[in-house]
Amino acid sequence: MSTAADMNRNLPRGFEDLEPFVARWAGETTAERMATRCETDMNDIQAFYEAMLARGEEAMKLIEEFPLDNLPDDVANLSKLLLALAQASIAVELHGQPRAPESPYPNSIRLVRGTRPFG
Amino acid sequence: MTAVEHKFTGRGSLTEGFGLSTEPLPLKPYYSREFFELEQKMIFRRAWLYVCRAEELPEPGSFVVKTIHGTGVEALITHTKAGRIQAYYNSCPHRGSIVVKESAGKASRFSCPYHRWTFENTGELLGVPDEENFFQSMDKKNCGLAKIATEVWEGWVFINLSPEPEVGLKEYLGPAKDYLSGILYRGAHNPVVYTAVLDSNWKTASDAFIESYHIPHIHKKTIGTTFASRLNPYSRLIGARPLGIHRTISLFGNPEYAIDPDARVEALGSMGQEGKSVIAADVSEDAVRFRAHPAINPDRSEHWSMDINQIFPHLHIDTGPGSFWTHQFWPIDEKTCFYEVRFYIEEARTIQERFLQELFICRVGEVVLEDLSNLQFTQRGIENSGTGVMHLQDSEVAIRHALTQVLKWTRAQTVKEALA
Repeated sequence: MSTAADMNRNLPRGFEDLEPFVARWAGETTAERMATRCETDMNDIQAFYEAMLARGEEAMKLIEEFPLDNLPDDVANLSKLLLALAQASIAVELHGQPRAPESPYPNSIRLVRGTRPFG
Repeated sequence: MTAVEHKFTGRGSLTEGFGLSTEPLPLKPYYSREFFELEQKMIFRRAWLYVCRAEELPEPGSFVVKTIHGTGVEALITHTKAGRIQAYYNSCPHRGSIVVKESAGKASRFSCPYHRWTFENTGELLGVPDEENFFQSMDKKNCGLAKIATEVWEGWVFINLSPEPEVGLKEYLGPAKDYLSGILYRGAHNPVVYTAVLDSNWKTASDAFIESYHIPHIHKKTIGTTFASRLNPYSRLIGARPLGIHRTISLFGNPEYAIDPDARVEALGSMGQEGKSVIAADVSEDAVRFRAHPAINPDRSEHWSMDINQIFPHLHIDTGPGSFWTHQFWPIDEKTCFYEVRFYIEEARTIQERFLQELFICRVGEVVLEDLSNLQFTQRGIENSGTGVMHLQDSEVAIRHALTQVLKWTRAQTVKEALA
């Protein structure tokens, strides 16, 4: 029996703490998630990075239980969030700011083909 | 000290091994409009130009449309029922309209959107609406899509824009064909593709990808520690050899490279595979077979990271521990080029594999950005150099060999002479 809370649920049960990040970070493609990282304030990137990293191992274990090419919607959203962590790490671990210093943005670089799923 | 380590001190002898002079080289070819036009005529209208992998055209009926930057040509490349891959000018012989607007797809025939002239994917003209109102001078047999010379070698599709190429693809590839023959191109059906318009001459850009001298400075944070170490702080080459007009070089790899403890996301992706980097060696059967090829780590060096096989004029086929990738640099004008990098990877089977791929793709994007930012400064400096020459060191031998070939092609009256 589904409840009203389930209707608004975007992530698997137990990952409610990550719900606030879905709208911004669960982009469908790598290119979308890259644009999100480039255009998000560093404090918000840091908040997502910490929250997602803390749940990373559990998220990966849960996603492993489903076929990668046929994930239920909530698990798919969790997967996209997990993949967005790779983008967040570029800001947090590499540059210490959303984008590379002394680099133009927007620029002419396009990721025109990613890899499945969510590439 | 091993023989390989010895090369990391003193001056190496790669350049002499290529039979090249060690004198400074001219910068004019990197900015002159006149030289750009000469290159277009003498190189890009005569040389075999790589356009795509055959995997992009997986079955009869598959087609792709490729912009041949700088030349004004748009090539429609089809896979016919007979199994042939053939390129045509994407232009209707009636009044010149673009025939196919999509960039890729499947179709056994094409219909020009302007007046509905219809063509077989072998180029023949099939149907002309209101044909009886044309004149006798319009012979349908002569009004098929105009062919562009096309040849395929081990899945690499090349075109040649001269009406009648002087030499075939095999002769053109020469020693490179034998050297690279039989490589198992893993993941060839699944490229991850970045493109960029770079504010630099195509050779300025290409040169940045055939030397590792710049890696410790320009890519310090992203890949610096992968390609340099205390043993070889300036990332000197571990080997290089000419392949006719083409060439190959092998880059140093830091065997002590380990995940930085601050790289917490990489650590998450590497759970259960401790101590390996994102670009770590793959031990699957295909990867082992791939690495066993004599052109991959040809010196069998323990310090190897990757090879760069440069196919004249503007394709790099790079091979690493378990995969291959390509760079291509299409001239747009004397100070702008269209850059495309394709990383060929197997589709992920698990979320952990996918996560590591994502991390790799993100980092590559940053490396491309570093080059994009750096190249505009290189180009600006080249254009107002006080001396007009550049000084190349031994590890920059591929640049010297590449420019030497470019100069030779712009002077040679025939392709045979340019290949000699």
